[in-house]
Order: sequence, then C-alpha cells, then structure tokens
Amino acid sequence: MPTSPVHLPLPGLGRPAESGPVRLDLTWDGRDWTVWMVDVGLACCSVEVMAAALASGATRAAGALVHGDGKHVDVLVVSGTCTDVLAPALRRMWEQLPEPRRVLSFGACSASGGPYWDSYSVTKGIDQVIPVDVYVPGCPPRPEALLQGLSLLEPGSA
Amino acid sequence: MTPDARPPRTRGVIALVEESCTVCMLCVRECPDWCIEIDSHTETLPPDDTHRRPRTNAVLDRFAIDFALCMYCGICVEVCPFDALHWSPVAEYAATSPDALVHERDRLASWEATVPPPSPLDPHGVVEDPGPRRPSPRG
Amino acid sequence: MSALAGAVVAALEPGEGTAYDGFGPVTVDVPRERWVEALEAAHAAGAVFFDLLTAYDLGPDGFAVVVHVASADARDHVLVRTTVPRDDAVLPTATGVYRGAAWHERETHEMFGVGFAGHEIAPLLLPADFGAAPLRKDFVLAARAARAWPGEKDPSDSGGRARRRTLPPGVPADWPEAGT
Repeated sequence: MPTSPVHLPLPGLGRPAESGPVRLDLTWDGRDWTVWMVDVGLACCSVEVMAAALASGATRAAGALVHGDGKHVDVLVVSGTCTDVLAPALRRMWEQLPEPRRVLSFGACSASGGPYWDSYSVTKGIDQVIPVDVYVPGCPPRPEALLQGLSLLEPGSA
Repeated sequence: MTPDARPPRTRGVIALVEESCTVCMLCVRECPDWCIEIDSHTETLPPDDTHRRPRTNAVLDRFAIDFALCMYCGICVEVCPFDALHWSPVAEYAATSPDALVHERDRLASWEATVPPPSPLDPHGVVEDPGPRRPSPRG
Repeated sequence: MSALAGAVVAALEPGEGTAYDGFGPVTVDVPRERWVEALEAAHAAGAVFFDLLTAYDLGPDGFAVVVHVASADARDHVLVRTTVPRDDAVLPTATGVYRGAAWHERETHEMFGVGFAGHEIAPLLLPADFGAAPLRKDFVLAARAARAWPGEKDPSDSGGRARRRTLPPGVPADWPEAGT
C-alpha cells in the first residue's frame, strides 16, 4: 500500500450555482404547464425534485436549469425535513414571496414530520408554519409525483 | 415513466385485500411510524354443521393508512402473514389536504387493481424434483 | 492488541486503563481523572485525526463519554471511553488536545447535559429555550406521549380472549411508561 499521499487532480468546480426560481415545463393529463418553482431543498426529497427539474423540457432544451429573475414565483416547493430551529427561516422565506404564493409540500417529512414525527427537533409538518396548498406523499416521492402535485395547483397561477 | 414501466416491486402505494385480512393487527403493531389504524370488533359465531363449538371471528370496521406519515419501509407488507397488503407502483396521489392522504379501506382496496403480478421466480433458484422422501425413522 | 490502545493503557497507572476488543476498534476505558492524559497519550502515539466525541446514557450509572481518534499513517484507530456519574456529569475538556472536539463537546453538552470544564460551551443545535437534554433516556418524547399507539387496540376489546399486550417497536420492556 502506498505510504505517501496520492496526488489527484482537483475536480473543477464549474460556475457558481445560480439562484432564482427554476422553470419546469411539464405535461400532465394532456395539458402543458410552465411552473416557476423555488425548491427549499432541506433533505433527501430535494434529490427527487432535482431529478424532476433536470428532466423537464425547459432544462433539456437549454442544456441547463433555466432560472428566473425571482420576481415571478409560482410555487414554493418544500422538500425535506423542517426542524423547529429552521422553521422561522422558512416562514420568512414564504413571507418574502410575491403574491399569489403557493406552497407544495413534497414528501412525508414536510407533510407531517414523516419518519421523524416523534423527534424532539422536527416540525411535524410545514403546515405548522406556513399554509400548504398541495401535499405530495412519498419517502421520497417519485419525480412524476411532483408533476402530478403541481398539476393540482390552481390553473391560471402559472 | 408510467406505473407499468417501473421496476418490479416499486413502492408507490399500498393496496389491501380485505378478504385476506384476519385483523391480526401485526401491521399496526410493527409500523414504525404508527401510520396504520385499525378498528375492529369480534363476533361469536354459533356452532354449525362444520364447527362443533362457537367460534370468535374478528371483523374489520376500519382500516386506514396515513400516507402523509408513511415512509414506505414495507414492514407492514412483509409482516402480514396472510399477504393482505401489496405494493402498487402508482405514486401519483397527491392531495390538497392532509386528510385526503389518509386512505380508508375502500380506497386501499381500489389500489389492488393496480398491483402488478409477482415477479417471475429466479430460474436459477428453481429446485429440481428432490425425489421421494426418505422414510422417517419412526416408519 | 492495537498499538494505539496499548499506548493509552501504558500511559496510565497499571490497572487504570482496561482495553476491550469487541467489534470495530479497541475501546480503552479510563478513569475520569485521567481523561486528558489518556487523550494526550493517544495523540502522542500518532492518533492525530479526531473523529468524534459523544456520550450515551447508562441510566443510574451516569453517562459514558467516548472519543474516537485515528492514525492515518499507522492505519489504526481507538476508542477512549470514560464514565461520569449522573449527579456530577462534568469532564475536563478535550479541546486542549484535539481542537476539533469543540463542536462535539457543545453537542454532547446540549444533548446529555454533560459539562466540560475549561471549555466555554456555547449553544450549537438546540434553540435557546429548549430547556432539557433530549438524548437522555428519561427524556419523554412529547409526540409519542400525546398520541395513543394504534397497536394498543385489539379486536378482542369488545369481548373474547384478550391477547398479550405488547409495546411499540423499539421500546424496551423496562421502559418507564410504555409507548412513550
């Protein structure tokens, strides 16, 4: 076994991550939608939201996630476990959204606390701090479930 | 991908076959999230032509799974001794209120139509005819 | 036995350090008074990588505090463990030997209420008004106490032969209040 450190090239970091709502072009039930979503990716569920965003038509056409300017947000997607210490920050984030603001709870943890419902530190559902319009069940839900959940938002808000 | 195209044993939603449920309560007791609720009562059936003594039968009143809590671990499906719970690959049942994520027995039964047939047995696992049984030492 | 574990035991008086070779790394149990010396011995023997400091609740016997350190060059690691009584749950700080222990001591203080003399503990994870040590075994999970376990119900509640009562999964048989 080598006794001296192994030299590996440093991975390239690429462009800094852009902020702002992400555009999702989706088709559900025969209808085409465009949704500008902000994902509060708190835990594992955010990986499935990323999968849905990367598979969306807008992303594939552009070769990268399409970010908006932040002035128009259709839905706040909360994916992951919200803890009591984080809850005020989530509330502040919701308050800063422009109207009409919709919230989609993605996954079991943000719907009810999920597997951690009995924890001393977990908020038992984000509807304890912000109003929620759609609940997508799953642990984690499939990306298709996010698309179906988004289709339940009031039409015309997109 | 569509539910049919998903891998075998995909965990989307849980279906209930009511005829198989004997209300043994194992799924309720083993669920780590406490998300299954069962209400039931017992009925005493009198002796009849095939039973010489009175029997106690457990009757299911309410079977509910709260999918807002469910973490899809599958313990309930595995522990059921009567195979009354099955996995269905349908994952799209989001709702606008958490109450609508509690599926009662009718809705759980309706998922059974979406449960795919079991995966084929592993061809390398099939045992050839083991031959006649050895006689027992007791004859 | 692992060289690191041997170095820790050798640095103490005979009989003070006992090594236990179970699963994983060797665990050296040291008396509380020799805590810092044991860590210094491990560090001097090459265990310069600090992995974790944590504790677990022994019940009436107090708390066990455990440190995991490793030596990358020697491909060796060791657990150094001590016990503090419940009514005097204080230990000298390890930050003099391993600076990285600072956040671990803050977390252990918050979760178990174990004090670390010589380290000005600032809160790390819990809100300021939490008011309890949540990883102690006698900490009641409010959510479980407030909600009735669905498994308590039984079809025979309305008549017939009652079954043997069980506890929710994961609850030990000698738990003070079943289901919490």
